[in-house]
Amino acid sequence: MSDLKYVGTYVERPDAVNKVTGKAIFLDDIQLPNMLYAEILTPPIAHAKIKSIDTSEAERSEGVIKIVTGANCNITYGDCVRDRYPMAKDKVRYIGDPVAAVIATSRYYASQAAKKIKVEYERLPVYLDALDSMKVDAVLIHEKNGEYWHLPSYQPVPKTNIAMRYFLKKGAGEDAFKDADVIAEGEFVYPFGSSAAIEPHGTIAWFHEDGTIEIWSSSICPFIIQEDLAKTYGKPVSDVRVHIPEIGGCFGYKSDVTIEETVAYIASFVPGRPVKWVATREEDFTSTLIAHGARIRMKIGAKKDGKFTAIKSTVFHSVGAYADTGVNVTQAATHTVGPYEFPNAYLEGLSVYTNTPPVGAYRGYGYQYPHFALERLINILARKLNMSELELREKNYLSEGKVTALGEKIWISHGDVKKCADNVKNAIFSHDKPKEDEEFYYGRGFAAIVKGPKGTPNSAKGCYMKLNIDGSVSVNMGGAEVGQGLRSVVRQVAAEALKISPEKVRVYTEIDTQFSPWEWQTIGSMFTVQGGRAIVRASEQLIMQLKKNASYALKCDVEMLEYEGEYIYLRADPGIRVSVKELARGYMTESGVTVGDVVQTTSAERLPRYSNPDLKTGQGNMGVNYTFGAQGCEIRISKKTGEIFIDHFASSFDIGQVINPVQLRGQIVGGVVMGIGSTFFEQLKFNEVGKITNPHFSTYRFPTIRDIPQKQTVDFVETPDAVGPFGARGIGEHPVLGVASSILNAIYDAIGVDFFELPVTSEKIKEALDRRKTKEANNA
Amino acid sequence: MLERINFKINGKQVTVEVESWEKLLDILRDKLKLTGAKRGCDDGSCGACIVLVNGNAVKSCLFPASKLEGAEILTIEGLSKDFIINPIQKALIDSGAVQCGFCTPGIIMELKALFDKNKDAKEEELYSSLEKHLCRCTGYETIIEGAKLAQKYLKENKEKGG
Repeated sequence: MSDLKYVGTYVERPDAVNKVTGKAIFLDDIQLPNMLYAEILTPPIAHAKIKSIDTSEAERSEGVIKIVTGANCNITYGDCVRDRYPMAKDKVRYIGDPVAAVIATSRYYASQAAKKIKVEYERLPVYLDALDSMKVDAVLIHEKNGEYWHLPSYQPVPKTNIAMRYFLKKGAGEDAFKDADVIAEGEFVYPFGSSAAIEPHGTIAWFHEDGTIEIWSSSICPFIIQEDLAKTYGKPVSDVRVHIPEIGGCFGYKSDVTIEETVAYIASFVPGRPVKWVATREEDFTSTLIAHGARIRMKIGAKKDGKFTAIKSTVFHSVGAYADTGVNVTQAATHTVGPYEFPNAYLEGLSVYTNTPPVGAYRGYGYQYPHFALERLINILARKLNMSELELREKNYLSEGKVTALGEKIWISHGDVKKCADNVKNAIFSHDKPKEDEEFYYGRGFAAIVKGPKGTPNSAKGCYMKLNIDGSVSVNMGGAEVGQGLRSVVRQVAAEALKISPEKVRVYTEIDTQFSPWEWQTIGSMFTVQGGRAIVRASEQLIMQLKKNASYALKCDVEMLEYEGEYIYLRADPGIRVSVKELARGYMTESGVTVGDVVQTTSAERLPRYSNPDLKTGQGNMGVNYTFGAQGCEIRISKKTGEIFIDHFASSFDIGQVINPVQLRGQIVGGVVMGIGSTFFEQLKFNEVGKITNPHFSTYRFPTIRDIPQKQTVDFVETPDAVGPFGARGIGEHPVLGVASSILNAIYDAIGVDFFELPVTSEKIKEALDRRKTKEANNA
Repeated sequence: MLERINFKINGKQVTVEVESWEKLLDILRDKLKLTGAKRGCDDGSCGACIVLVNGNAVKSCLFPASKLEGAEILTIEGLSKDFIINPIQKALIDSGAVQCGFCTPGIIMELKALFDKNKDAKEEELYSSLEKHLCRCTGYETIIEGAKLAQKYLKENKEKGG
């Protein structure tokens, strides 16, 4: 691998200058001629019947063009479960459910008018936790649960609030616990949170008079939006055009269709004019997708020697008012049992309707809940076995030939978790920890992780590649740049594959379904792997076309030719050659007669043998591509305040092949800090009517520059991957996965208290310290 | 009630009609079509909208437009000249601090205000300025490195007489 020239080095981001000059165009920066603005009215209570809507006063308000309600709306949508409506018809199910909308000539006029709409509601009980909405006497949030169209791999439980039940059995399942010598179990809570990108969601929808629909959205799934809207409005998919401008952070919640059907529905009432809706920060919390809402009961068993025998878990996932975006997260949260081999498993996951905003993707896609539970339980089990936490893990790591809960056999090319663990061990555990002093308790913790993508089996990423007349290359793909640095990856992989300098590779900016090749959506840390492989394929085809054109120029067979970036030459005599510039449009002979291909190629890549789960066992190839890693930390806890300081956080991932070391470190350092937010601060709070009481950055606290670890160590193992370009693997989501559990393990190491619920605030630590003090005093 | 306000923006004198409820960010984005300052929150907690008013870094989403009479404003659009980007912009690129880029203009303007007053600002001052800015991508490590690198570039530029 050492002969790589552009992969593995720092290359500047193609979008950097546009971003630092403020010229990068995000959704809300777009102004279209004759544009109108929408304000969406939402209910004051999260679960209610709509008795009446009076829009008369609002209609007379200044600047109003149209008031829209769901009264005559018969549209339903959803890609996993078709349980969503663009606008509420007779009932609201969460605090952000759209009840009516005002279209006006300015944002201000629209919002003033919306205040004048009068709605009468009849209150229904509000359920904020799966355990409440699962009770036998609970009111149904969806009377039609079970009747909605859904993907065949989901099983709803009709006449209940359970939108989907998934279970997986491996080996003897639960029965295997009888062979266990020791057992650890617990109930863990990962509360509601938000991806909370700094750019709020927004959409512009424009129904043209010619019957076509044009959309701009801060979304990472243009092609799903395109297909959904085509279905909704009975159009050919090709008549819907979706543009994706720059995206100001995603972290999950800008995947899947979120607000686009609602904004399109509103715009359909004013054909010929574009309508813009951009969420306020509050609406971004209440009216898009939120995250997590997971309660997980887990039990693990092992023999005396530390060998795991069985795992059982039940995931109670509060997926919110609509399950379409949550069911897949539940499945991933259920079938994941960390980077370990459990010969037997019984895993059950329930997606349960609640009166909260719908839950969707968040960096990690459900993998964080079982990782959180399992990495804590392993430490508890290690204590029972009187064994070190690291040694217990080492006895059970997945490695070549071992089998995951899903029934997938691990390949050597999946990577090496043990090497990652050794790196973290070396960074965190190779020296003595400081002794408790006047001010602080000290602790260290560890967690190992693994994640594969969760998606549709036909998920693929396409690539169009065009050789220009001067030898430069334009690469066009459907992958969304959300900040992760995808454009640099495209530039570097293409440069490497084509043996040309990165400056000669021009990477696409906007995605436009009219011009971009198809991609399912940019999720699951899969762009580098699938997109990168698509680039390599397109490059190979492009080189083959060049050779074919050169064979006319040099009058020999294609097999005799070699390519080196600028020239195609005769292998036996490199002096006989022709430049790629002369071949880009075919080869023009002396008479002007031109032969050969115009050099432009197309390709795509999907994961080999990725499948749906088997309905009986729940197993299937639902990973295929994995990234393993390990994380650990050294912390200090203030005796006075309970505040936790992270002195050192270490991460090591088997990345397969580093593509851009600066970006890679950026992904990991940023992911760790995001994980610190979930560990210490982040929690959406609801009052009794289901209103979010902290829908602002001033109250939904996440890390500032004051909250970061004093030091982060990041290193990589490079076991080449079987699919990714030059052996590279995905990394976007993985850095968040071991943060909470390693910190909570360190808290136990410091003060001997086990926490099972996030966030662990300094107040909770202080309470625990006070309790400990009282206990010690009583014992004395 | 519309009111006519005169102020200077990025070196150019302008007159704008403003409503009493409008903030500087509304004027920048909606009336002057300067969209570099971003709207990330509703309550002045994210820092993405920070611009310079009379040399001070202010949250334009909170700053009443009616108070702009006679003011001198600098936005991200006025920081670089043609193809030459400012050393602070260059430093944030070189340190890897640019990811999604939504918080970036606000951070750059914050540092511009800070370094205009004191190129040698100490680490604690950097933290005090940067703690007003939320970034969800980077984990801040490269932002603090970028701020320090910007100080270095600014000094080098001065030595070169730039």
